[in-house]
Amino acid sequence: MSVLDRPYEDVWSPRRARIVAVVLALVFVVIVGRSAWVVFNSPARDDSGGAVAEVAVRRADIVDRDGQLLVTTLQGWSLAADPSAIWDVREVVDALVTVFPAINTKQVTDLLSDKKRRFVWIRRGVSERERKAVKDLGVEALRFVEEPQRVYPNGSLAGHLLGYTNVDGDGLEGIEKIFDERLKQGGEPLRLTIDASVQFVLEEELQGALAQFDMKGATGMVIDASTGAVRAIASWPSSDPRKRGDEPAAAKTNRALNVRMELGSIYKPLTVAAALEAGALKTTDRFNVSAPVKIGSATVRDPHPLPNASSVTASDIIIHSSNIGSSLIAQRIGPEKLKAFLGNVGLLGGMTIKGPQTASPLTPAEWNQTSMATVAFGHGISVSPLAFAMTYTPFATGGEMVTPVFLEPIDPATIQHKRVMSKQTADTVLAMLRRTVVEGSGKLAEAPGYEVAGKTGTAEKPTPDGYDPNRNITSFGAVFPASRPQFVVLVVLDEAQPRTGVVRTASVTAATIAGKVIARAAPLLDVHPVPFAPIVEAASLRTTEGTP
Amino acid sequence: MNRLVMIGGLVVVAGLAVAVYRAKLGAEETQGRIDGLKAEAVKVEKDIAVMRAEEAYLTRPERIGPIARDRLGLEPASPDQYTASEALKQRLGEERLTLPAPDAEVPAETPATPAGPAHQ
Repeated sequence: MSVLDRPYEDVWSPRRARIVAVVLALVFVVIVGRSAWVVFNSPARDDSGGAVAEVAVRRADIVDRDGQLLVTTLQGWSLAADPSAIWDVREVVDALVTVFPAINTKQVTDLLSDKKRRFVWIRRGVSERERKAVKDLGVEALRFVEEPQRVYPNGSLAGHLLGYTNVDGDGLEGIEKIFDERLKQGGEPLRLTIDASVQFVLEEELQGALAQFDMKGATGMVIDASTGAVRAIASWPSSDPRKRGDEPAAAKTNRALNVRMELGSIYKPLTVAAALEAGALKTTDRFNVSAPVKIGSATVRDPHPLPNASSVTASDIIIHSSNIGSSLIAQRIGPEKLKAFLGNVGLLGGMTIKGPQTASPLTPAEWNQTSMATVAFGHGISVSPLAFAMTYTPFATGGEMVTPVFLEPIDPATIQHKRVMSKQTADTVLAMLRRTVVEGSGKLAEAPGYEVAGKTGTAEKPTPDGYDPNRNITSFGAVFPASRPQFVVLVVLDEAQPRTGVVRTASVTAATIAGKVIARAAPLLDVHPVPFAPIVEAASLRTTEGTP
Repeated sequence: MNRLVMIGGLVVVAGLAVAVYRAKLGAEETQGRIDGLKAEAVKVEKDIAVMRAEEAYLTRPERIGPIARDRLGLEPASPDQYTASEALKQRLGEERLTLPAPDAEVPAETPATPAGPAHQ
């Protein structure tokens, strides 16, 4: 029976069913295929254009030893423009001048006139007020771009030490430059050894010195003698990191680190220590300093005669700051031993610091009798104030010197202790320094209760024509408290001239400021005062030396 | 029978397809919420940074010192405000430090509590 003979339903129903089945099967294959494609092959999400952009690593904060914020990074705004969308460049520039009076109009005009460009920076880092003012101008071609900006909440506090970055966040000076790589990695804040409160006290006292003295510059530092931790370090005129170096040269100069100075008589304790250490001096030895002495080609004089000048001890030489006596003591050990001692305490270079570097010293070309005689009282050798301050740490630690440290936390195992003198020598010189403050040239440095031990230094400034008697560097190096030494303080004033009076030696300039710094900083450093500080060391010296 | 199996299979496949779509949509919604939370976290972090900077600005020694002095009368401790513990008796007076035993009856004429520092 042919197909034509079979009933219609018998012929077409199976065929129709097959066709429908095939079509449906195809449809489901497509659906399943599409489902599989959606699940396995859908394009990866591109977050860069979404709500959450890839967050760039945020430059790490800088904090003080207690976590007080010194530097941070905030999102700020910068002004940009699309030159191709500007019809009247002059009109836009005139409008911008109303918001940014100091803007370089020629430079901006040139930028906006370049119609080939679609993006130019007008100003990086604008304030919220400036942003609003620019928006009020209603210029469509101007737009703001959000970008990170370095912020210094404390203004110029520790400005020289902190340094600054450029607009792109690259460290250019100070800690920002030295630890640039670490800061760029983001993460935990960089914790400095600086104590913001002590830093403020130091800077305020240096600034306040202006009320008493006309001066060209100043520097000071407070150092933990047991660890080398720099608790405060300042240079005046201060530097404001927010200005990114756009300051006068005097403000840009970091006198604590980058300037080398002849510091004068604060070297004398080192000379005495060198002689004691060499066994060439006893505290009972006596010297005649009543007349100038000629050593090598140098004639050494004392600006003021000492009491009982024909018979003075090393202690008297320190207390009353005798140049003659200091040179005579140096003569006992000779130039080579003095050079070796000063080299050992880092004054001839080679001090390694994990942090800001200091200016290299300027030392005598030849160590002979003449240079020895002058170096003995701090002339003919120039070092950075920080390098010098570290030489007083042995007097506080019983003879061990430390190197400056700028970063917390301090691992006790990594502190570099270097014995440079015996404990007996250190204690003996410390006693002399205490007496200098109690009864000698450092009286104005006394901070009641904090037993300041220290030495004044007054050095005429060297010029191409010799030393200028009218321009001084005055300094005061101190250790406190003398009965349990913890901190070293150094204050240096450049050309300090009292506004009243004519005396401009360190005894009335640097000593005064050092005393004020210690009196205010000591409580902040948890140094408890001695209500009625006994002069135990000085008394013992009197007994051993038989001096009045 | 075959027809039932086929229809059942188609229903299952269709159900799976719908489930896949729903899972996909759910994932996208979840991703959207994650993005939103991330954006919020970034914003909160920015706000925290701003507030920390403001806190540092407001608590800078230059500002706090004068406020503490002028409004609260606070000054740095002076050396004469410190004393050794063994010197307290001398400083405060012997009778001021004679404290009653915790459970002892306090005589009427004896001060019940130690007085503050004597400033005669």
